[in-house]
Amino acid sequence: MTDQTFIWSAAACYAISGILTVDRLRRSKTSVTTHPINYATMLAGFVFHTLFLYSRGHTLQRCPLTNSFETTVFIAWAAVLFYLLIGPSYRVSFLGAFTAPFVLAILVIALLVLNDSVAGVRLLRSPWVDFHAGIAILSFGAFGLAGVTGLMYIIQERQLKTRKLTSSFLLLPSIEQLDVINARLTLLGFVMLTAGMIGGMISYRIIGHWDAPKIIWAVAVWLIYASITLARQLGSVRGRKIAWASVGAFAFALVFYWVISHGGGTP
Amino acid sequence: MNLLVIGLNHRTAPVAVRERLACPPGKLGEITCNLLGAAQLHEAAIVSTCNRVEIYGLTGQISDAGAAIRRHLHQQHQLTESIDPHLYELRDRDCVQHLWEVVCGLDSMVLGETEILGQVKTAYQAAQTAGATGMALNRLFQKAFAGAKHIRTHTGITRGSTSVGNVAVELAEKIFRDLQPCTVMVLGTGEMSELTAKALRSRGAGTIMVCSRSQDRAEALAGQLGGRAISYADWPAQFPVVDIVISATAAPQPIITRENLAPLMKLRRHRPLFLIDIAVPRDVERACGEMENVYLYDIDDLSQIAEQNRAARQSEISVAQTLITEHMAHYLQWFETNRPNLEQRYRQPVANPTIPNPLHAA
Repeated sequence: MTDQTFIWSAAACYAISGILTVDRLRRSKTSVTTHPINYATMLAGFVFHTLFLYSRGHTLQRCPLTNSFETTVFIAWAAVLFYLLIGPSYRVSFLGAFTAPFVLAILVIALLVLNDSVAGVRLLRSPWVDFHAGIAILSFGAFGLAGVTGLMYIIQERQLKTRKLTSSFLLLPSIEQLDVINARLTLLGFVMLTAGMIGGMISYRIIGHWDAPKIIWAVAVWLIYASITLARQLGSVRGRKIAWASVGAFAFALVFYWVISHGGGTP
Repeated sequence: MNLLVIGLNHRTAPVAVRERLACPPGKLGEITCNLLGAAQLHEAAIVSTCNRVEIYGLTGQISDAGAAIRRHLHQQHQLTESIDPHLYELRDRDCVQHLWEVVCGLDSMVLGETEILGQVKTAYQAAQTAGATGMALNRLFQKAFAGAKHIRTHTGITRGSTSVGNVAVELAEKIFRDLQPCTVMVLGTGEMSELTAKALRSRGAGTIMVCSRSQDRAEALAGQLGGRAISYADWPAQFPVVDIVISATAAPQPIITRENLAPLMKLRRHRPLFLIDIAVPRDVERACGEMENVYLYDIDDLSQIAEQNRAARQSEISVAQTLITEHMAHYLQWFETNRPNLEQRYRQPVANPTIPNPLHAA
């Protein structure tokens, strides 16, 4: 099997997981927590996803982060990783139903839109580069899932606020629970991103390579997440605004990453 | 061999009749055993709740059994007037279907309520312990319990609360992760505020403060709820620690306004605040509901949700009926197949029903 087969299989698993969840929600009328079938299909997708990254890495003889396609696929992988880790422990109903389409959408964009060419990539080798890239990717996985919980928060909060309660109201978790998960994921992501930035600085000192747009982007993303984390710690902003911020910050980071890497800079 | 049920419920009989027939829970087994002998039943179970009294039985003489049960009921409860007009009698398939509908909450006053399942379970256990049930009824009740569980999960029949107090609890549970660390403040005592506070308490609300212009009433309600009474002048001072407010004062003007709530929200570090305003005229200014992290529901909002839920349950009845028909079919088939076995087993009339019949073991 080629790595393309692996990644399309992963996408298919996430699609099946999403469809199964929606179907089950339609039929079962009581609250649904992380269901074994949903979890198993996500896990299967994750295995294919990992196989893709492994085989790509094997071909390249390095961490498969050489272009925006690979990086985006890696971010989606990290988001699934966090879902698989926190899904069962928080027993959050609906998290899978939101995560599956989210990951699928990112993969589809990566497969259909993003540039998957080897040309123009300078292969920078240093353990610090790999550390910097790997941990930054993981932080984006956490931010991505935080964005998913943020979106769920916005929907549930809106229903509570407008007093227009649809049937999904009963299935979505409480806003406070979503807020707590969002806070933890964002903090975890921020810590990892900070570590990744430090790793980046060290690798710059070793390699001496300078990519101005990417550094500006990285600093902007770090500042955004730093202010979200700080605002939360101070207790000055809560709830809906934080939820919107976490959705917006992730969208901003990802879209601008695609924009700057489209210019052919280092991923 | 036939199955039959004779009974009355909140629709066929007024409370004055239902209360005469109610069986004390402790004596249910004994009463069931007496019935076995008196009414020529091979197996029997009595379901007795505040809304229904029903006798389920297995008989070899279906033509006489109904009359015998009625006679026994009149004698046992020393009834001077006939209760026959209030009684319904269903046989075989109809009897099975009726039990299924009862345990699914389709026959309840509050459609889809779940308490009835526990009540029927208790009734069945009492009859079983007394040795009054056997192969036919054991299977009937066990299949009905399993069926009810399935039907409740796979239809919307029990979905959403249909009372104002429970709707408030449901909303609270969608705002807060856990009610245990929540502090509830009851402003103004009254039936509605008491019911709502009790509902919150039963779902785990940790701390309850009661505040009323009358200190006596506040203390009485606080005692009932396991909370503490605070003086009316004190409530604004306590407000920053409160998560849920049940407001039901007789104040002619709103007592919680956007203006006085804004600084309090800051003190609460913008933690979510759930305001349940069940007072008429309303206690909470409507504009408070527009504030960040404040969720305001008045009595009309809550009743409307309860009404929507009721309608939603209503629309699930046909789905539940279809499932019941499917589930019942297995039991009815089993019953038909085993009718000769049952006839053979119960050829001898029960000699002494108070001693468990060894044949009754399923």
